[in-house]
Amino acid sequence: MSIFEYNGSAVVAMVGKNCFAIASDRRLGVNLQTIATDFQRIFKIHDKLYIGLSGLATDVQTLYQRLVFRHKLYQLREERDMKPQTFASLVSAVLYEKRFGPYLCMPVIAGLGEDDVPFICTMDCIGAKELAKDFVVSGTASESLYGACESMYKPNMVTYYFEALGLTHGKTMEQGANCIGVQKENQYKLLEEPEELFETISQALLSSVDRDCLSGWGGHVLLVTPTEVQERTLKSRMD
Amino acid sequence: MALRGNWMYENNGGTCVAIAGADYCVIAADTRLSVGYSIYTRDYSKICKLADKCVMASSGFQGDLKALQKNLAAKHLIYQHQHNKQMSCPAMAQLLSNTLYYKRFFPYYTFNILGGLDSDEKGCVFTYDAVGSYERVGYSAHGTGAGLIIPVLDNQLKSPSPLLLPAKDAVTPLSEMEAVDLVKDVFASATERDIYTGDKVEILVINASGIRQELMELRKD
Repeated sequence: MSIFEYNGSAVVAMVGKNCFAIASDRRLGVNLQTIATDFQRIFKIHDKLYIGLSGLATDVQTLYQRLVFRHKLYQLREERDMKPQTFASLVSAVLYEKRFGPYLCMPVIAGLGEDDVPFICTMDCIGAKELAKDFVVSGTASESLYGACESMYKPNMVTYYFEALGLTHGKTMEQGANCIGVQKENQYKLLEEPEELFETISQALLSSVDRDCLSGWGGHVLLVTPTEVQERTLKSRMD
Repeated sequence: MALRGNWMYENNGGTCVAIAGADYCVIAADTRLSVGYSIYTRDYSKICKLADKCVMASSGFQGDLKALQKNLAAKHLIYQHQHNKQMSCPAMAQLLSNTLYYKRFFPYYTFNILGGLDSDEKGCVFTYDAVGSYERVGYSAHGTGAGLIIPVLDNQLKSPSPLLLPAKDAVTPLSEMEAVDLVKDVFASATERDIYTGDKVEILVINASGIRQELMELRKD
């Protein structure tokens, strides 16, 4: 078993309309034994910036402590909160400092930037950033999460859009998009409302961790809008 | 499965999916044949019709699949000569299991799914591992894109998942059209994230009136 699979984890973040959601599982294991069922993987950096860390649990905690320390120093010097893009660059730099003895963590960063535009990104354990417009995943359940998110992200919004245009039933997202001549990028202008986003991310997380023995034992979802933060715990298969 | 340095087998990639309904069965597989990072052909069928109401789809090493299909076709022909009727799907399922276990110590590197209608004209799907262990289930997926697809099927099929205990073996309440749409959606999603899945998906629907085939285009990258 690889060292990334020692503790087991699943983290996912999705972008919505002026909001974002970040979710993780709650299991902490040592190989195949479960040690804790309330392990926190998503941490707050400031009101509109959250980081989810998957991978080796000790590095998750150490990295979080280091990043919060750097952010607090930044706050003291600049007298303001860090922008998510800046924070992502910071995390990338911190990880690359340890290029030949890395932190065994894959972070998922989600925040609301200027004008409350949602921002998400993920990185590998040595800091290679991957910016995405729709969703990012990380952890032992990442393959399942990719499949579930790819299918579930905005299917409702796209169906309603196609129905409004009078397209026939039975088209996939790709076929529908080609029919109406919309470039795939433009589809992302139709974003999910907060409630819908919460539902989507919860379903995606729960179905994915159910197929991964190293993650699960419930879920933790944070839905962040410009005005409020909703934190909810999901009950799932407790195994 | 790590096959690097293993000259006896090769993983040709691809994904196959099957869903059992109340009176139909949907089986689908993509049509890309690849090796390593190259594509051999975009137009390769991984589905084989074994009997009137019994179809098999497999992913894995396509060379072994061709040999397995020939083997089963020959055995089916003998059965037809001896019993004057086609093999039913559950019978074919047992035959496939025995055929695979016969080569337990030099296996067929194929991950098979058998789909069709059982003797009561209800949809049935049998899922296998490489050495013949099998189970009748309501839906299944195998191949490089299976990990991406199975969580979505778990979520959408509204039928008892194989993960529930006690084991419930039921078919999905979805209609045939909805099931086919779901299969198209999952293949579109799997194509996005899996390099070995793409080009086209061949979808076969088996119901009382026979077998209907549909081909849908997927991304070619």
